[in-house]
Amino acid sequence: MGSFVKFLTMLIVSALLVTGCADSYQWSKSHPDYKQAPYVELAIAGVQDAFVLTRSAWFAKRLQVSTDSIQILGTQFCAQAMLKEMKGAYSKLMILPENALANAPEESQKLDERIFMKGKLPEQGVVVKDSAGNVPPRILLVHEVIVGTDLNRESFFDYSVMHNESPERTAAKNISAIVSYTLWDNEKQRPLFSAVDEIQRPVTIMTWEELDALVRQIVSEIRKNLYMGAK
Amino acid sequence: MKSIKSLILFLLIAIASTASAVSASDVYFESKWTLWKDADILIWTIDKDLPIDPREFCLSLKRNNMAIGEPKCRTVGEWERDSIAVRYAGWLSNNMEPGLTSNYLKARHPSMRGKIQELEDRIVLFIADKGNYLQVAIFDETSAEPRTAGTVQKKADKIALGDEIASTFFDRKTSRRLSKEERQKKLTEPDEYYKEVPNLRAWGGLSAGYAQAHVPLTPYNWVHRHVESEVRNYRITRDSVSLWNFIDDSTPLFTLYAGAIWYGFIGGEIFYRYSNHTVKTDNSDTVYQELDHWEFGQHEIGLNLMLTKTYSPIKLMDIHLFGFVGFQYSFYAEDIQLKKGVELGSKAYRARIKFEDVYKGALIGGGSQFVFKDHYGVSLRTGIASRGKNVYSDPTPDAAAEPTTIGAMTVDWFISLGLEYHWNP
Repeated sequence: MGSFVKFLTMLIVSALLVTGCADSYQWSKSHPDYKQAPYVELAIAGVQDAFVLTRSAWFAKRLQVSTDSIQILGTQFCAQAMLKEMKGAYSKLMILPENALANAPEESQKLDERIFMKGKLPEQGVVVKDSAGNVPPRILLVHEVIVGTDLNRESFFDYSVMHNESPERTAAKNISAIVSYTLWDNEKQRPLFSAVDEIQRPVTIMTWEELDALVRQIVSEIRKNLYMGAK
Repeated sequence: MKSIKSLILFLLIAIASTASAVSASDVYFESKWTLWKDADILIWTIDKDLPIDPREFCLSLKRNNMAIGEPKCRTVGEWERDSIAVRYAGWLSNNMEPGLTSNYLKARHPSMRGKIQELEDRIVLFIADKGNYLQVAIFDETSAEPRTAGTVQKKADKIALGDEIASTFFDRKTSRRLSKEERQKKLTEPDEYYKEVPNLRAWGGLSAGYAQAHVPLTPYNWVHRHVESEVRNYRITRDSVSLWNFIDDSTPLFTLYAGAIWYGFIGGEIFYRYSNHTVKTDNSDTVYQELDHWEFGQHEIGLNLMLTKTYSPIKLMDIHLFGFVGFQYSFYAEDIQLKKGVELGSKAYRARIKFEDVYKGALIGGGSQFVFKDHYGVSLRTGIASRGKNVYSDPTPDAAAEPTTIGAMTVDWFISLGLEYHWNP
């Protein structure tokens, strides 16, 4: 009798756990052979085309740029800031040209039951070279960085809520960025670590410095996760 | 000391034997794949020389697996000349490591995946030379991932090497390949689990079981007043709300029943239940010295409404889960006998307790029928049954003054196992 009650309690508790955990996601995936995070040497690709600015009117107004040019100016600024920050972080940083992945097909990688991340990955059996013909051992492929206000990564990457309309919000609490990236093993042509990160930064007055600080926060988040993901 | 030496020796032998086993051949992973009888095997390599001879390999297969019939083996030239396939082959050889599951070795390029999909019953045997060992992987049309991968030790003797590969990767059951017509037919064939739900499914059955007043998982003190009560002087108990105050509650139970289900969903069942209950006489009461035996036969007939849901976990068996609610009428047939030689019996005997002519009650429960080959069923059912006052008696103005009905709250739990015959009329 007592053991049955215990069993029943366990059943209920586990059922609660299962339903309670239904909304937590796995946001990264490591290859079993990902043993060590990049330390000094790293190549980076895709940054130049990765940034996307949402709510461009909001940014344009606050950064005092015309609405037509905010997309170009903003993404360029972010890409430059990111490369600069990366250079500071990895002393032997190799920046691959924009066309390095031009011919690679876009593929999705499954991180979780409902999370699929899209990005270009080099073909199996093909190594990526820089313009001088050097072969970097590992490449950080930055697929996409969405910059906006109060963004949630669920609404961009969980296909079951992707098409839900979000309420129009006028007062922004945070500027935020959602970055998807893959650490690519260029020697064996396989993804070592893939992740989608979300960065929130409380904003009071929006300036270019704030945007720069956001990008620096993105880079530190990526570096932290690259380190945590290694087994 | 001697024992330590022998232990070390044993360990050395064990290590040596496992090491040799690993180096001879090693299977990294293996998933279900079909080896066809008269298999068409395409040998795929990107190395300059093929380490095995296709014709000899076919003979090795026949030697190792009698069921394989007449296999055909050739090199897959169209893949060896294709640059995308060559790149994938190089990649595969680079990436094939122990510990990685097949999904880490998936072909990603759409064109490569297309090539694998077009194999149509042919089996691709991928071989890559790694110096002192060979990597081996097997592909079939069903997946862009290798179905099996592993290594074998390299040998100069091509025949011995072929034997090694055949015994490591092709030692499995074979299936006959379907002809074009059979393939076509199979495509249009319904699934083997496909079954139409009959409009009406009927059954008759006989079951044996057990009943008791105490419902499992409920506190015993709900019933202990009834269960532990005894009858003094032919009629006196602590109370009379339940018949279990007078008669034994835990008895075998037999049921005869017939039922039917419409559209696999809703149905009914008519039943007759019988059980025999002895009266719990208080043995310390001397008045019972005249008594030989005193029992009540409980006869019940009733009707259940059933809701079912059907599952077919295997082809031979259907499982019908059901829940039921119903009502029943209970009749108690008294069987009392005085000892031989006692003519009349005591006054108490003549004024003994009488039960109502009929009790009306309800049933609720559930169970499952396991039906084999559409006809032969085993069923398990459990539930709770009650017997109460006959509500059809007309209320009278002095109802409040009437004595309470004996056994108006007689509840028991039952479980039974039945044998049934089912048919679709």
